[in-house]
Amino acid sequence: MNKLVFILFAGTLLAQDARKIVEESQKLHRSRSQQYEGVLEVYDTKGGKNEKRWQYARIGSYGESKSVLRFLAPPLVKGVALLVQNHPDRASDQWMWTPELNRDRRIALQDRSTRFFGTDFSFEDLEERDVDQSDYTLLGEEALNGQACYKIESVAKKSRTTQYSRVVIWVRKDILLPVQFEMFVKSELVKRLIHKRVEKVQNVWSTLELEMNDLKKKTRTVMKTEKLKYDVALPEEQFTLQALRRGE
Amino acid sequence: MILLRLISWQYTRKHLLRSWLTIAGIVLGVAVFVGMHTANQSVLTAFTQTVDRIAGATQLQISAGEAGFEEEILERVQNVPEVRVAVPVIEAVMNPQTKSQANILILAVDMTGDRSLRDYALESGDDSFIEDPLVFLAQPDSIMITREFAAENDLKSNSELTLNSMDGPKKFIVRGIMKSSGLTTAFGGNLAIMDVYAAQKIFGRGRRFDRIDVAVQEGLDPATVQVRLEKVLGSGFQVEPPSSRAKQFESLSSVYGMLANITSLFALFIGMFLIYNSFAIAVTQRRSEIGILRALGATRRQIQILFLAESAVGGLVGAGLGVVLGILIARGIAGSLGQFLGEVYGVAQKAEEVSSDPRLLVGAMVLGVVTSLIAAWIPARNAARVDPVQALQKGRFQLLTAGENRMRRWLAFGLLSFVGVSLAFGHGRLIFYAGYFSAIFAGVLLVPTLGLWLARGLRPILKAIWPVEGTLAADSLIQSPRRTSGAVTALALSVSLIIALGGMTQAAYASIEEWLRVALNPDMYLAPTQNFTDRSFRFPAELAAEVEKIPGVRRIQAVRIVRLPMDGEPVMFVSLDISSVSQEARLPIVSGDGPTMYRQAAAGKGVIISDNFALMHNRKLGDILTLATPSGPLEMPVLGVVVDFSDQKGSILLDRSVFEKHWKDTSANVIRIYLQPGVTVGQMRERIATQTGTRFRYFVFTNEDLRSYILRITDQWFGLTYIQIAVAVLVSILGIVNTLTVSITDRRRELGVLQAVGGLRRQIRGTIWLEAVLIGAIGLILGCGFGAVALYYALETSARDLSGMRLAYGYPFRTVLTLIPIILGSAFLASLAPAEAAVRGSLVEALEYE
Repeated sequence: MNKLVFILFAGTLLAQDARKIVEESQKLHRSRSQQYEGVLEVYDTKGGKNEKRWQYARIGSYGESKSVLRFLAPPLVKGVALLVQNHPDRASDQWMWTPELNRDRRIALQDRSTRFFGTDFSFEDLEERDVDQSDYTLLGEEALNGQACYKIESVAKKSRTTQYSRVVIWVRKDILLPVQFEMFVKSELVKRLIHKRVEKVQNVWSTLELEMNDLKKKTRTVMKTEKLKYDVALPEEQFTLQALRRGE
Repeated sequence: MILLRLISWQYTRKHLLRSWLTIAGIVLGVAVFVGMHTANQSVLTAFTQTVDRIAGATQLQISAGEAGFEEEILERVQNVPEVRVAVPVIEAVMNPQTKSQANILILAVDMTGDRSLRDYALESGDDSFIEDPLVFLAQPDSIMITREFAAENDLKSNSELTLNSMDGPKKFIVRGIMKSSGLTTAFGGNLAIMDVYAAQKIFGRGRRFDRIDVAVQEGLDPATVQVRLEKVLGSGFQVEPPSSRAKQFESLSSVYGMLANITSLFALFIGMFLIYNSFAIAVTQRRSEIGILRALGATRRQIQILFLAESAVGGLVGAGLGVVLGILIARGIAGSLGQFLGEVYGVAQKAEEVSSDPRLLVGAMVLGVVTSLIAAWIPARNAARVDPVQALQKGRFQLLTAGENRMRRWLAFGLLSFVGVSLAFGHGRLIFYAGYFSAIFAGVLLVPTLGLWLARGLRPILKAIWPVEGTLAADSLIQSPRRTSGAVTALALSVSLIIALGGMTQAAYASIEEWLRVALNPDMYLAPTQNFTDRSFRFPAELAAEVEKIPGVRRIQAVRIVRLPMDGEPVMFVSLDISSVSQEARLPIVSGDGPTMYRQAAAGKGVIISDNFALMHNRKLGDILTLATPSGPLEMPVLGVVVDFSDQKGSILLDRSVFEKHWKDTSANVIRIYLQPGVTVGQMRERIATQTGTRFRYFVFTNEDLRSYILRITDQWFGLTYIQIAVAVLVSILGIVNTLTVSITDRRRELGVLQAVGGLRRQIRGTIWLEAVLIGAIGLILGCGFGAVALYYALETSARDLSGMRLAYGYPFRTVLTLIPIILGSAFLASLAPAEAAVRGSLVEALEYE
């Protein structure tokens, strides 16, 4: 799960320290592969809740990984899958598979600012970004929930690849794990991502619950991670369009 | 102004009925002009609004005519750096099984990206919960409708909605209800959104899209990106702003616009003679008044301006009323006209509201006033020339002088000579139309002379039947040709218009029926919709292959019909197995050698063009056409020119293999089936159903069904000409009523004297009736003669500038036979009120008149 939020690392290398912190953080929480089952809880403005379950698998190093996300429930979305192929030098390729239609569709780069299936995440938020894709500035240090944190600003080098003008990241000083992101469009703060539950799994500090708040719509999405495993043996062929079509 | 109030207004008040009748021609002409154009404009506005509203933030639209294109194109467009958003679209109109039975416009998009372009404004205000986008995409039965459509059909979230798909009726689930917004008001609110990939299946598109909607990167000029995209995609694609779709529709329906112009201008032209007639009479009646004014010092110019000002005011009032009446007419016909144009051109729009263009209304007012001024010009000039001394004397003033008549005849002779020259040597448009107008003016100039001759010729007959009334009626016309010449001219012109339209209709029906007989001779057809012009649905290639194998099928022809741009105009491309066509149909060949033409076209070595395409696009046998295909420009020689009435804008026939190769499209709009001897359509219908089961949705049409369908569309098209006929007849009747009213007023003393010396009321009444019928008869005879010439010009105009279709000349005798009782009966009816007025007036007053 923690990998998921690294997508938000986008910025310019304005301070060597800031870049090093981010790079170190990525290294520390890197794994060859991972797998988990997630629960998505989308809360509307009236407090109503919509829940979806999914299965997630990922292989490859950070920034050039491949992942498959397949919905398990509710029945109406069961089998719908998303294949993400991340690239270190450019935005990821994404495909969606809809079993009822028996066909895949490519999700274009330009569409990734749209919301990820009604959640408060966008398709872009599912991408991993290599440290070199952004410039970083260390804004200072700040305590968050009693934990000392680095406050780093990240700005994407190619503005076309992101919807955000800048992202401010809080990275815990003790474990170098990002725990909060604030995303800005122009000067307006539009989203806040909070890592609510952080635990060590297989000796890797991992976020097991995070909450994305859409500050404009005043809605939030909670993502819970279950059955998280690192360095699982996953075949490469599982992360292809053909496998996606086969429902693997 | 003072003269207008003191003199003109008093005269108008005294002759109120006649004044109204005078301007009636203007009212009618302007009303027809405003009504037909406003209705057309409303249809166009409705289409434009639908395009605008569904375009949202779209700046450019990419299409390949109606043919669509393969999915891969989308990625090519999305990879252009200047493109911010590019989303695929399929658009179609369907008839859902709902309470309202109203057609619904389906806009199929890819919802993962489309919301960057369009605001769907979901009813709940929170699409993430109530309306689940993932479910919407995951389930192909998802549909989103407008609040208006939902309310009209008692639908709510998760309701079922049945739509006809290629797999038969299919139930959809309402998974979103859109709030009222710009988008939801498109197509009168009857709009539904579905997933584009689901739509591919439902509409039989395969892996193709209809178009791509594009928004460019911020700060970039769409025109620059347009050029870039055109370069990337090649000439087979059209990259245009959404507004250009409205222009294409305008271009398609331009024939209707021209017909509207012809009808209204003709009505105004006829109306002009009514005004001319009234003013000519008014000048003679008011000669003493003019004389007094002149004696008091009024200049000739002041007199002329007085009459022209009267006519301008009349024209203004008539045009104002015409505008109001026209808007009412437009309200009445906009809906059905929209439906008709939609059916003829297969274009989605819904015209429910009338939108009037202020420029059109101002133009109509100006047209009315100018027509009125032109009509009054000669009478006003004559009024200015009145000699004060002569004017104050009593006498006859309705006679045409011998000199005047001679001058008219010479002028007519000169014009007719020019007409002859233009017909013999003039192939250019300018000289042709100059000849046309010369013929009309020659006819108009000859009306008094010919009318006089006819009146003299008919006098003995009338005298033999009705010695008193007949003689009086004929003499009235002979002695006062100026009084009646306007009405006779208007009537003759109306009749000639009716003859021309009747002849054109008759020729069109004959030609279309013959074409249907020889060119469209399959025993039955399979079509994906009930409407042949609707190309929303398509059959996959497999269906044709399956049908071909069914026992009893002798031959099939899978036909793909698309409208594609050619020389900037949408042209119908008909792709089918040319070899098969050559063996079954006998398309009348205009130029080219039949066997060679078919052999080479079947081998994909060229195209066959329709006669009307050849005429309108100035192409001939051997010319090379450059077809813009999605695979690049394709140069094809014209192998032959044939008579083909598939489309008003012309058609290009090419072999299916060429279309499949260059457009990469194997689908079909229609499957033509030839049956083996002894197999009936009913039997084949059952066999197809057994063979294909419920896998395909199709409608079976017999040859007779298609014939009726085409003839029905033709009927609807010619329905417009019936409006012209009605206007022509109405204006003529007004002319007769006007003339008789004037005639009675003018002859009040004469009629009074007749009564005083023992003339019976019955005889007076009979005289007026006969006079009216005589005017009708003369107008009818002259009109029939003029009609013969008008028909020639109408057919030529149609071929040159309207449809490009060459229709055979055939004088419509049946129309003439129908017209005789209508015109004479109308003339008689028109005379009833004036005749009563003539006999009911006070004898003393009548004798004192003048």
